[in-house]
Amino acid sequence: MLFGCLLGSPLAAKALKVSGSTTVNPVVTDAAKVLRSESDLEIVIDTLGGSSGGIAALADGRAHVGMASRPITDRDRERFPGVDFRSIPIGYDALALVVSRDVWQSGVRSLSADQMRAIYEERVSNWKELGGPDQRIAFFNKEPGRGTWEVFAKWLYGSVDAAPLVSFLEVGSNEEARQKVAGTRGALTQLSTAWADGETVFALDIESPDGERVPATARNASLGTYPISRPLLLVTDGAASPDAERLIGFILGPRGQKLVERHGYVPTGALDEQTALSIGEPSLETESAEVGSR
Amino acid sequence: VTESEHRGGAAPYRSRKVVDWSRPLTLATSAVAGVLAVAVVFFLTNDALPVFKHSGLGYITGARWFFRAGEFGALPMIYGSIVVSIVALVLAVPIGLGAAVFSAEFCSERTRRRLKVAVELLAGVPSVVYGLLGVLLLRNWIYRLLQPWDPLSGDTLLTAGVLLAVMVLPTVVTLADDALHAVPDSARQAARSLGLTASETLFSVSLPIAKPGVVAAVLLAFGRALGETIAVFLVVGRRDNVLPETIASLRPLAGAGQTLTSKLGGSETFLAYGDPLHWGAIVGLAVILLVLATSVALASAFVRGARSA
Repeated sequence: MLFGCLLGSPLAAKALKVSGSTTVNPVVTDAAKVLRSESDLEIVIDTLGGSSGGIAALADGRAHVGMASRPITDRDRERFPGVDFRSIPIGYDALALVVSRDVWQSGVRSLSADQMRAIYEERVSNWKELGGPDQRIAFFNKEPGRGTWEVFAKWLYGSVDAAPLVSFLEVGSNEEARQKVAGTRGALTQLSTAWADGETVFALDIESPDGERVPATARNASLGTYPISRPLLLVTDGAASPDAERLIGFILGPRGQKLVERHGYVPTGALDEQTALSIGEPSLETESAEVGSR
Repeated sequence: VTESEHRGGAAPYRSRKVVDWSRPLTLATSAVAGVLAVAVVFFLTNDALPVFKHSGLGYITGARWFFRAGEFGALPMIYGSIVVSIVALVLAVPIGLGAAVFSAEFCSERTRRRLKVAVELLAGVPSVVYGLLGVLLLRNWIYRLLQPWDPLSGDTLLTAGVLLAVMVLPTVVTLADDALHAVPDSARQAARSLGLTASETLFSVSLPIAKPGVVAAVLLAFGRALGETIAVFLVVGRRDNVLPETIASLRPLAGAGQTLTSKLGGSETFLAYGDPLHWGAIVGLAVILLVLATSVALASAFVRGARSA
């Protein structure tokens, strides 16, 4: 209730409010620009709380459409029992481990899940233990509640709850993460491949247990060979309103899917059905994901 | 003739039954303001109750915050808030006080007004702008400056403190200047005619007379530093559970930390909503912040009150 008092305002009659993931945001922002210029549909977007913030905003009625870069989970449904979550995948994204220039140039080009776990559990704190320079690892952890972090935790530990309790430096939005990694020696963070520009921050390959290196590219995510992929979702409470329907329809249409591709993500059509299913329900995940069932 | 007698004497001229609305209207607006203040405190405290039931005083003295394990200890954030605010004051007070002395004691009235406008412009810059400047410039600068102490990154408690110093500087300058300006010129002239130099006049006349106002200015700046959110959020590193080994240790300054406000501004607030205990812990931070800021404001009012008495 207090939350509503502080942050909420009754939804304006005109504007369509969209809230959530900074990963999904660029696509929706571009789509909103087109819709604004071609029709009178006014769209207001915020990314304050990441995916979980967007889902909470949708559940509270502070937003008409939530943006999420992770599947809706049973936990979300427990928190908001009165809400009929309907998620629409608008594309897919690979999540990369990105490093700063000095690490990249020293020759560290890949990490395995085991190595990443060692860093996350603070058993390894210097790049020299991973074949790099004698430089402390400045690991910027994504804030809890960010879709990126939840997908990362599920990849490493099977579920969010199984991830160990740690206190690292934290970053929020993708832009902040990129900026801080670029400006710090020995830096490492989890970041959507679409934001790993290869100029200021550099995406590492993921080394599979049999020693094979898989580059973090949207294409490898679409082929299902890259292990940390996720759906990008728009979420509505029950059936979408006509305005929300227009936004969703535009993004799923050919022009919207071009925007998805332009921002470095994989359009929905580019996935075969089997891969889409496996991304929607990661093998280790116990919570149901409704992406696959669509 | 006291003021009330004077009013009574004026009454016959207004004896026509004119309804005067000014009193009831201002009473109503005061009531609205008062009720709002009480309501804010009530709702915050009410929402925070679950965490105090769960952890008791351990919520305030606890050093561990792991919400997924149901551990809520606010001490590292209280520490962070106070440390960054003290750093801000240590930097801003000498500079601000110096500027205030210069403008109030040594400038013509015209120059003084110009200086004040310039300083108050600084106060008008939105804090998110300071935050972005902090990320773009200050972060890298502090990162280089701290190299001898091998910082993990440029996001440190010191960075937040320096940024806050810039932000509270106008408060110190303009309020301290007001306090010094209010010192009657006759006092200064008397001192100078007794043969005191300008410096002696400053230290034995102007500053002692203006002291309550100057202290109030510093306290208000402290309050502002405690409450600042977005700028601190962007440069403090938001690392949980940072406490010094000894209370006087300066080592944590070169590392990241978390303040009450940076925690409240983070995404955990959104995550907590819906879980009474976790939400209570987050709102509890707001209550602690409110108590800290209110104490500082009361202290400031007390100091100013002592002066007029």
